[in-house]
Amino acid sequence: MASTYVKSVAGLLAAGALLMGATGAAAAERVKIEWWYAISGKLGETVQQLISDFNKSQDKYEVVGTHKGNYEETMAAMVAAYRVNQQPAILQSAERGFMTMLNSGAIIPADELMAKQGYKIDWNDFVKPVAGFYIVNGKPAALPFNSSTPILWYNADAFKAAGFDAPADTWQDLEKQLYALKEKKVTDCPMALPGDYQWSLIENYSAINDQPFGTKANGYAGLDTEFVYNKTSVVGQVARLKKWIDDGVLKIAGQGVSPISLYTSGTCASIINSTASHSAVEADAKFKWSAAVMPHEEGVQPKNSTIGGAALWAIKGKPEEVQAGVAAFFNYVAQPNVQEWWSKSTGYVPVTNAAYAKMKQEGYFKDHPTREIAIEQLSRGEPNDNSRGFRFGNHNQATAILLEEMQAVWTGKKTPQEALDSSVKRGNEILRQYEKLHAGK
Amino acid sequence: MPASDALRLDEGAATRPRFPLLPWLGSLVGSSETGLKASHFRRPWLAAGLVAPQLLILLFFFFIPTWKALSLAFVQVDPFGGTMIFVGLDNFTTLFSSPEYRDSAVLTLWFTTVQCVATLLVAGLLAFATDQVMRGKAIYKGVILLPYAIAPAISGVLWAFLFNPTVGPLAHMLHDLGFAWDPNRRPFDALLLVSVAAVWKHICYDYIFLVAAFLAVPASVIEAGAIDGARPVRRFLTITLPMAAPTIFFLIVMNFVYGLFETFGIIDTITHGGPAGSTNTLVYKVYQDGFRQLDLGSSAAQSVVLMAIAILFTVLQFRAVERKVNYQV
Repeated sequence: MASTYVKSVAGLLAAGALLMGATGAAAAERVKIEWWYAISGKLGETVQQLISDFNKSQDKYEVVGTHKGNYEETMAAMVAAYRVNQQPAILQSAERGFMTMLNSGAIIPADELMAKQGYKIDWNDFVKPVAGFYIVNGKPAALPFNSSTPILWYNADAFKAAGFDAPADTWQDLEKQLYALKEKKVTDCPMALPGDYQWSLIENYSAINDQPFGTKANGYAGLDTEFVYNKTSVVGQVARLKKWIDDGVLKIAGQGVSPISLYTSGTCASIINSTASHSAVEADAKFKWSAAVMPHEEGVQPKNSTIGGAALWAIKGKPEEVQAGVAAFFNYVAQPNVQEWWSKSTGYVPVTNAAYAKMKQEGYFKDHPTREIAIEQLSRGEPNDNSRGFRFGNHNQATAILLEEMQAVWTGKKTPQEALDSSVKRGNEILRQYEKLHAGK
Repeated sequence: MPASDALRLDEGAATRPRFPLLPWLGSLVGSSETGLKASHFRRPWLAAGLVAPQLLILLFFFFIPTWKALSLAFVQVDPFGGTMIFVGLDNFTTLFSSPEYRDSAVLTLWFTTVQCVATLLVAGLLAFATDQVMRGKAIYKGVILLPYAIAPAISGVLWAFLFNPTVGPLAHMLHDLGFAWDPNRRPFDALLLVSVAAVWKHICYDYIFLVAAFLAVPASVIEAGAIDGARPVRRFLTITLPMAAPTIFFLIVMNFVYGLFETFGIIDTITHGGPAGSTNTLVYKVYQDGFRQLDLGSSAAQSVVLMAIAILFTVLQFRAVERKVNYQV
């Protein structure tokens, strides 16, 4: 009895030693680079493809990608991990979390990392709207990765059936078309409300129609910025959306159903959603789908829309060889051919001029005209203080409050003006709290 | 190695088949020590060893989190822990002066009360009917017990989908019947949906206890009632129900705990606390503010308030158990 135990224990130990040896050898060959990302579905599959391509392209590093939920969940996971020194080497963080990450003290600025590791990235080659957001005082803080902007997706069959060739350019005319779709019984749901409508229908609405969202150039000029969107045409926009919802023209998807699936399934005839929906629409929509630029107010010269999506941040507190691996991966991602492949497979805009030029030269946009809408909309006109983008501290938090107040409008608890006033007041408290914590940064 | 240790522990326990409770533990529980004899171990390391797992669990799941919550409740901190400013009671004053927090507190009270009463009523009715069911008793019980086997998040997703106003089949049925059902825009609909889902999920729990309690009523008493001419409903109301009072009281407490703390998954999947905070209970708000919005100071202050409520609740429960409810059936 005893001897069998001894034997089996010895056997186990031997097996363990072998195993340790094996992993030890592998570790010596490849340095593991942990990357937490937040996009899922088809986009998530493309991320895994990107990782495996990178791992095959060299033999020093192995990037290990983990999906940590949506952007907010990934950020929360990062915060929890950072406090106990378990953070990943790379984090994908949304544009909404830009200021939070920038001032977190937890990151290595992208240009610093690349210069230290001996890589040369032509930061001037990033397309203007992307560079304008991620480059702070001439220095890129993070590597722009997946950049998008909202565009108007529509069901060409449904619009045709109601007698329209394409959606109108202005909100006023679009309203007539959507009501016509409903009255002519073409569809019961002319438009679906996207999940991130604060981004498309309020923030981007402000940028396109040249309305300030906050003071101090929407936060670009200082932490002492204040929200002002309760005093702009956003009030009218919210009133319009409320009217559409009441009349059954605009439908809320609600829990358990993703808004874009209401469009791709043909239930709703249009939706204003990210250009990154291309991968889902191309795969799932069984009707003649198309897209157009977002509408603007009558009599307004529309400006550029702003970018959404996310960037890759290099996180502090990792050994030198891991940082070298992060830099190698960033360098790989920034290559024009990788950029081109990424943009084509996802629908995100190409973030470098080189990749954009390459795609244009190949005639890609002739075959895929909807892929260029986002780029054209992003680079329309000269960006000014109202349209450059949004840099607010803890913008996640202010966004959650805005969404809650908007729900109070949809439910009829508050008028648009009351809700926006309250949202601005509560949002400003968050800005002051952030300013207090980050004074002098 | 660990196996032999466990063996020795077992031996120790076997030779001393007394209550493995330290005297101070009895004094902690206060008046509940009646009936327990004070006893102690001659070898203190054994007692410590036996208590250690429980203490470790308490340490990791109660004392350390409590310490963390308390230490965060009085500061404002950036999520990454880089900057921390002591703000005294600011987090609490902001909290109590915020209308959103008051709304959430009122909502929580309403929700837990309705959920508690509704669950008990439905479960009581079903348990009462169990005796009257003649055929297919096993199937009857099985169907009632099924929801308990489903994870809250999964049942939440199902409810959310079935009653989704755009694509849900049951929502379409309601629309056809003339109801303007829309939990995305009508706070009452959202609250109703969450309440029904929460009740549905918990009925089986109450049902098991009630069936057992009703079965424990001596048949002789019921037969005596029957001979005196009392019909089933009357027998139930005047004999079974009073005798099951301790169980019912226990269930009221458990339902409250369930409604307060365990409906998180259902709310998260069905409404996310919306629309406009109309299903944002206190517990869900802690999560929303702390983990979604990363406002750790406020979230910690809210947890401290919740902890105070839980402690108050426990004290009240112990007192009530001692005085009001008669366990001598």
